[in-house]
Amino acid sequence: MSSVPMSPLLEQFLSEARDLLECSGAKLMHLEDAPNDQDVMNELFRCVHTLKGNSGLFSFPEMTRVLHAGEDLLGMVRSGHANYSRELADCLLEAMDFVGTLCREIEATHGVDASRARDSQQITEALHKWMPSLKTHPAPAGNGVAAAVSMGTPSIAANASSANGTHSVRSLLAGIPESTRKMALAHWRPGDALHWIAYRPLRECFFHGDDPLNTARQTPALVWGRVVAPEPLPPLADLDTYSCVVQFDLLTNAPREELDQFYRYIPEQVEIITIPSHWLLNSLENLGESRAALPAAPRRRSYSENDEAAFHKIIAAQRQILLLEDRPIWYAGRLKAVAAVLANLSSAAGHTCDEADIQAALADALSTGHPTLLLAWIDANPANRAGAALVSNDTSATAPAEMEKGAGSSLESGPGEVLADEGIKFGRRAEVAFSGPKSLKVDQAKVDRLMNLIGELVVSKNGLPYLAERAESQFGVRELSREIKGQYSIINRIADEMQDAIMQVRMMAVSFVFQRFPRLVRDISRKLGKEVQLVLEGEQTEADKNIIESLADPLIHIVRNSLDHGLETPEVRLAAGKPATGRLTIRAAQEADRVVIEVSDDGRGIDPAVIKQKAYEKGIIDEAALERIGDQEAINLIFAAGLSTAKVLSDLSGRGVGMDVVRSAVEKINGTVVLHSELGKGTTIRISLPLSMAVTQVMIVESDGQLFGVPMDHVVETVRVSGSNIRTFKKSQTAVLRGRIVPLKSLNALLGINAIPRMNSDDELAVLRVQTGGVEFGLVVDGFRETIGVIQKPLNGFLSGLAAFSGSALLGNGSVLMILNIREIV
Amino acid sequence: MPIEYKKNRALFRDVVTVEEAEGLLEWLQTRPGAQADLAACSHLHTANLQVLMSAKARISKWPKDPGLRAWLEPALQTAELNSGK
Repeated sequence: MSSVPMSPLLEQFLSEARDLLECSGAKLMHLEDAPNDQDVMNELFRCVHTLKGNSGLFSFPEMTRVLHAGEDLLGMVRSGHANYSRELADCLLEAMDFVGTLCREIEATHGVDASRARDSQQITEALHKWMPSLKTHPAPAGNGVAAAVSMGTPSIAANASSANGTHSVRSLLAGIPESTRKMALAHWRPGDALHWIAYRPLRECFFHGDDPLNTARQTPALVWGRVVAPEPLPPLADLDTYSCVVQFDLLTNAPREELDQFYRYIPEQVEIITIPSHWLLNSLENLGESRAALPAAPRRRSYSENDEAAFHKIIAAQRQILLLEDRPIWYAGRLKAVAAVLANLSSAAGHTCDEADIQAALADALSTGHPTLLLAWIDANPANRAGAALVSNDTSATAPAEMEKGAGSSLESGPGEVLADEGIKFGRRAEVAFSGPKSLKVDQAKVDRLMNLIGELVVSKNGLPYLAERAESQFGVRELSREIKGQYSIINRIADEMQDAIMQVRMMAVSFVFQRFPRLVRDISRKLGKEVQLVLEGEQTEADKNIIESLADPLIHIVRNSLDHGLETPEVRLAAGKPATGRLTIRAAQEADRVVIEVSDDGRGIDPAVIKQKAYEKGIIDEAALERIGDQEAINLIFAAGLSTAKVLSDLSGRGVGMDVVRSAVEKINGTVVLHSELGKGTTIRISLPLSMAVTQVMIVESDGQLFGVPMDHVVETVRVSGSNIRTFKKSQTAVLRGRIVPLKSLNALLGINAIPRMNSDDELAVLRVQTGGVEFGLVVDGFRETIGVIQKPLNGFLSGLAAFSGSALLGNGSVLMILNIREIV
Repeated sequence: MPIEYKKNRALFRDVVTVEEAEGLLEWLQTRPGAQADLAACSHLHTANLQVLMSAKARISKWPKDPGLRAWLEPALQTAELNSGK
């Protein structure tokens, strides 16, 4: 993984793209054997189509273009308009490899190099060649539709296609007004690039949202440009407003990469020709302009002595290279490199006219195999001769040899390849070491199985301490007992790490759920006419996949409720002295072994009096409770089933099924939900969830000789209450714990065990203070044991009807621990 | 409206988008010899440019924006010359 985080969407795309590429590659191979298999064809088409669609989500025009062409081609093959052949498959495989290359590049650098645009275009064109009739291409306008209006001035079009000759470029430049050429020259510095761009917009480009004039105007470092109208222009009556007939010629100083980047979406519509800058001068000469009249300043830079020395050294090194006697296979590349260095040097020194001479000398050297003319050129130059003299004293004999080594190794992969193979290859898997994907897609069931196995391992390893104890107490082998304990600690550590590792596999960031909220909040607030600013925090917080997934629905409920009931309309807010825009914050954070998610708004808050009244009206609480319960408890009544505070029913919320659904959903995954609200200031709902459902922390309590587990989420504290402090009202017992009256319930009584709670020697009862759903009470048990992490298994079969227990777990000694469902037994 | 149509003169303002081209075309078709005032125009979509070129519309005022003017003047002047032929 790279250091900069990638957007999850992009990550997902790349992972999917890899699968789809793999799949389409396999299908292509399969089709070679069975070209008429329509099912495979359809699947292949679907693969490419999906990939294309997905790539469109991102700004990778290079990729989308190739995939689009591939899809078109496959579509034609599928409908029988083009014939499937081995060569066609080659072409498609090439395209898929290119897409794969792009994917890897995106993964490594999060972007696509501008130079890929050219490759992409090349491949697209190669794919287009297989399509029998293609009307989208303007350049080879062979068919009727495009020919109706002749495109562009014929001379320009002809020149553009044979643009590499000196001649055509000169005539291109001749079309530029003289004043512009002078201006271009005045701005020109040695080493600057000069590019001629023939921009031929597609006829239907307006429908793509293009404005060619605007594109032309925005071209970087534009020196000059013109609109090229077709001859003759269609008469007004025949003009189709939505079909682009004009074209553009541009002259720019921008480097090639920048132009490629600028035109990356439409590389097939532009032709970029590099103009050697001295032709600009020559074209002026042709017009009878004397060179002396030109500003001399920019052409000759001042050089320091150091520059001068470096200059001579470079020349001398080139001379040495030329003098080398061996003729390796990359000899042509070597000559070209030398010529390029010389040309650059001379242009850096301001001798622009030398370039043609050097090219001529190079051509001669390439054809004869001997660099006589190049050497002659070096020696002919007085400045260079000084350098040659310099080298005989200065440079030791080893220097060129070293240089040759370096040059050789770099050239091997350079010109040699280009000379040998003009086509581009994008890493056929068979040839290039394939870097495997960094992420695996694994069926969740497999991970679950692994987790279950580790769970069992954790439980069975807990049997070892018992074994050690038995070895000592029962068989009296102390030595063995110690060894077992030693082994246990090792296994324990490994098991813990394994468990941790498998949890990591299942971890997911909450952003998975959060990412849908911006849209949801926007839509709902628009519908309600409210202005809401959504703030998301802690999106990187991770939790188990199941937890995250089951969080989605409750959170949506809560957010809807906040938007509907909590936040006020702008007018009401302004009247209350609050900013018109409400604020909804969704925050996730990890606290110890729990994930806490808070949804808070700065809306009107909840009025406990209203809730109490409503709850009373609906019969959720009785009159006594109406008097008794405090504000906080009243607010928590909102979680009771059948309560709604909205005055009118809307399609968003207000049907009284909301918060109780939220609570039961959260509690199903061992979470808790708490609501705090301040009237007029806002409401905060806090959901606390376990990081993972795999391991539940339970406290073991003893009652009537049996062990039971109580989930730690419900445990508030363990206390010993002296029998004298327990008061009995009517039939129910209560005790005052930390200044609060807490009802006491005997676990034996709740479970129907016919035994009274045992007191300890000090005449005290063991009371486990638990809370569930905002209600607190004391559970009277016989004694407390340790807290352990268990893998809770749900009850199956007949036992599933036992609401009092939420599940069972295995203890280290092999006995079964029943986990109490506190909420149900109250 | 980016284009304001007077009796025999179309006033271009700010950025004239592709949506205007159809209207401009219709307007020019019924008024041969109409003029276009581009002084306040900062950009016009290629579609509009094509219409102006095809209609050989007379430009009463060139854009104040020198960049746009440099583009339009040669293109639309040629059209004028052609109409003179």
